[in-house]
Amino acid sequence: MTTAELVRALRHDFGAAIQSVEEPVSDKVRVAVTPESVVAVAKSLYRDYGARFLITAGIDSRKDRDGFDVDHIFSLDKEQIFFIVRTTVPSDGPHVAAITPEVPAAAWAERELQDLLGVKADGLLDGRRLILPDDWPEGVHPLRKDIKYGDWPPLGDGTGEATYPWKPAPEGTSTVVVGPFFPVLEEPTQLRLYVDGERVIDCDYRGFYNHRAIEKMGDSELTYNEIPFVAERICGICGFIHSSCYCEAAEEALGITAPRRARYIRSLMLELERIHSHMLWTGIAGHILGFDTVLMQTWRMREPLMWLCEKISGNRKTYGMNIIGGVRRDISRDLYPEILSVVEKIEQEWAQLYDAVQGDTILKARLVGVGMLPEETAKALAAVGPTGRGSNQAIDARADHPYAAYDEVPAKVITHPDCDNWARVVVRLEETLESVRWIREGLKEMPDGPVMATDIAETVPAGHWGVCTVEAPRGEAIHYLVTGGDNRPDRWRVRAPTYANLQALPSMIKDETIADVPITLGSMDPCFSCTERVEVVNMRSGEAETLTHQELLTRSRAATERLRGR
Amino acid sequence: MIISKLKEALICFKAGRVTLPYPFAPHDPEDGFHGRVVVDAEKCVGCGGCAEVCPPRCIEVSDPDPDRRVLDFLLERCTYCARCAEVCPEEAVTVTKEYETATNDLNDMHMHIEVFMSTCRRCGRCYEPPTPLDRLMVTGFRPPTGKSEEA
Amino acid sequence: MARAILEIVLSLVILIGLAPLAEGLLRKLKAIIHSRQGPPIIQPYLDIAKLLVKEDLAPTESWMWRVAPALCLGATIVVAMLTPIGGPPAFAFGGDIIVFIYFASLAAVAIILGAFASGNPYAYVGGSREMMMMLSVEPVMTIALAVAAIKAQTLTFDGLMASPVTSTPSISMVVAGVAFLLALQAQLGKLPFDIAEADQEIMEGPFIERSGPGFALFRWAMHARLMIFSAVLVSVFVPLPNLGIPVLNMVLTLAVMGVVLALVGVVDVVNPRLRIDQSMAYYARVVVFVSVLALALAIVGH
Repeated sequence: MTTAELVRALRHDFGAAIQSVEEPVSDKVRVAVTPESVVAVAKSLYRDYGARFLITAGIDSRKDRDGFDVDHIFSLDKEQIFFIVRTTVPSDGPHVAAITPEVPAAAWAERELQDLLGVKADGLLDGRRLILPDDWPEGVHPLRKDIKYGDWPPLGDGTGEATYPWKPAPEGTSTVVVGPFFPVLEEPTQLRLYVDGERVIDCDYRGFYNHRAIEKMGDSELTYNEIPFVAERICGICGFIHSSCYCEAAEEALGITAPRRARYIRSLMLELERIHSHMLWTGIAGHILGFDTVLMQTWRMREPLMWLCEKISGNRKTYGMNIIGGVRRDISRDLYPEILSVVEKIEQEWAQLYDAVQGDTILKARLVGVGMLPEETAKALAAVGPTGRGSNQAIDARADHPYAAYDEVPAKVITHPDCDNWARVVVRLEETLESVRWIREGLKEMPDGPVMATDIAETVPAGHWGVCTVEAPRGEAIHYLVTGGDNRPDRWRVRAPTYANLQALPSMIKDETIADVPITLGSMDPCFSCTERVEVVNMRSGEAETLTHQELLTRSRAATERLRGR
Repeated sequence: MIISKLKEALICFKAGRVTLPYPFAPHDPEDGFHGRVVVDAEKCVGCGGCAEVCPPRCIEVSDPDPDRRVLDFLLERCTYCARCAEVCPEEAVTVTKEYETATNDLNDMHMHIEVFMSTCRRCGRCYEPPTPLDRLMVTGFRPPTGKSEEA
Repeated sequence: MARAILEIVLSLVILIGLAPLAEGLLRKLKAIIHSRQGPPIIQPYLDIAKLLVKEDLAPTESWMWRVAPALCLGATIVVAMLTPIGGPPAFAFGGDIIVFIYFASLAAVAIILGAFASGNPYAYVGGSREMMMMLSVEPVMTIALAVAAIKAQTLTFDGLMASPVTSTPSISMVVAGVAFLLALQAQLGKLPFDIAEADQEIMEGPFIERSGPGFALFRWAMHARLMIFSAVLVSVFVPLPNLGIPVLNMVLTLAVMGVVLALVGVVDVVNPRLRIDQSMAYYARVVVFVSVLALALAIVGH
């Protein structure tokens, strides 16, 4: 089905509800619909045309048309189409009908819309805060344009009380709180497990403790060419994915074509990143199970690759190579043999490791049949990456929406039907080998030429848009960009893969034991943000202070003295 | 199961000892490594191009009087992207291989450059941006200070 | 009298004093398998010395919290005096197998009580896991020792070491020895059975709130278990020839203990952690195996 046929079918079904259709680049469509019909259109896309929900982007457009734009982004994977359903709601007490009851994967996106844009989503079953802190005042929505970057409203309501409406514990269960500092991954997130003995009956999640407001920074502080470097810092492991995704989306919006060689270099770096990320993950998974030998050995195998990346880009990680229009650093032909020898050595050792762990019954005792994510749940919640592919969902941005050089050298999509933690391990192990194959093919096909586009326009028109997905090792990352004045985007929407996958966690750990929760969470390769400082918030005054190591120690000593009654 | 354990053990023993006795035997980086940047004050013409492109905005430019331009490199914020060296028209900014920059004294990470702007006073932006899009930044909006990195 | 005191001092030096060294050697072995440099062999001594001079931060005013480390190490020292190393134990009197088991369990109970006293939820989970492990591993050890006791018709290590049972091979003793070896992995808190401490799940469980001298005593007691239980395994179940000279017997025993600990160390490195239900099911099978096979064989006299 082409976009034209799809739009014709929708016009037939919904008539005048379809207000306008834009298709600036082929197979990327944005359709404006009336607020009343948005749920019906979304439902029809999801149910009748097999569209997969990606993310919702809310845009504060009050200065242009006195309203908020709500863009629901869908993907038709087989047809390689991006389909954006836009509806504009009036700026006075904005609210829109929630699509979550019909499209379950939209749950977090619509909660986020309420938090950050203040557009109320009517009909959400769970309309609690997702991102804003407990003591954040009502009515202050950070992504609105009248809030400046760095503004900090007075916190709390003066009573010193700020609580989160946690789900009540089911009958006959006790509550185990894990976090806000999550011990296994050493990252800020909180899980409340409602357990009966060792068995998890239900759970509740609260995260975004270290939200960095990067989207806000992007549309109010940074310039187009600074964003790739900040985007790369969204994730410490798959940073290049975010800078590539931003650059591809921005190039599309600005009408720039990166040279072929630059696109091959992007793909090459993305595959190198996938290999080292999967190797890192395999080590971490071993570590979570107490199998530190796996950690040490996979990281040993990974190290030559890190040195190779350092040689190619100048940096071990967070390469800083991407920029709108191409890449900043070319790869010398003299390096090709070294790249090949490093990845082929990895291929050989990885095959040995894969062979060894396949027969390891003790390891499998912890993985097989644990953390089940049934196919229909994975589909409904739009799980991506190895989490989805481990549940037989053939979703891979490299095949669904080819970017960089994947249109010329395709990558094989690897799926596994078992839906458990072991399936996700196998998918990653095989993908590592597949990435080595891609690099071998890609280096063979890599053309010569410039790595930077020269036909870049002097001015950037406002109101253009671009959307791109890039397959990160954890799943698919999405960047949606709407250009603005001031040499910066009007809206830059980012969705990292963990955002989609984490929503599947409650169903994965249901009926498992507490001991299996870390590895099940680990099996989706979650990526929260990290911090190494301690921030203490005085609930009464709302003041925050940062404690150094010494101050924290002093307080602990004082507590000991007090307890000992000295 | 035993065979698989033996295979795993074989992988381990075949590798031998691989870690380096750092810091007694440091690992020297390859050419092209992005280490700490240094600025040759003799070559600097004070164009401020480095400050314009620096993504973490760690270079602060000020003009205390018409003849003097001051560049402060606050390298504790540096992300080692080497954009400054890339755009510098005079090759005054160079990237070294120095990576052991941990310090207890922040002043170790600060560089203070004063340039006498006797010949280039009026233009102020005498560098050639590497891409046409970069040229946009010449007219682009910049906040008055670099105080924006704390979220 | 002087000789008895000398023997006690000698066995304490070996079983308690050298225990951190054994741990250091195991860490080195682990490092070799991990392809890395690893810490110096004396690192456990340095760790203990460092912890001893650091401050003891307390999360609670409970007296149980304060006495638990001393109780654990004290019980371990008593166990060390009762442990045979190639010959009769230093501090010998009638019925010492039962006293040995009693004090060995007391050391574990001290860990559990200290954990419960801390009030930390992770320590609580760790303490209850430790308790479940104890309940499933102690029977294996007890039955294995009972097999030896039935064979030798005595309840003392004195009598055991003097009897031919411990120096001549027999089927029931081999089966009991294998069972004891399987139990050793869990007794020493090594993978795949380090479930109670489970660094990545519950962050060292019972010890999460520990710092300073209290933690040092616990650590030392844990290291001493390495020596004590391997000494019992080798002295009782490995049929070593009697060389006639007690010191030579002791050296031979220590050498075999080294082999046993290396085996434990390798198993520790090449395995992931099992779940508590999986390991309890595993030890339930081992118990059935020894109690049926070894006990029956011992009773009919093989």
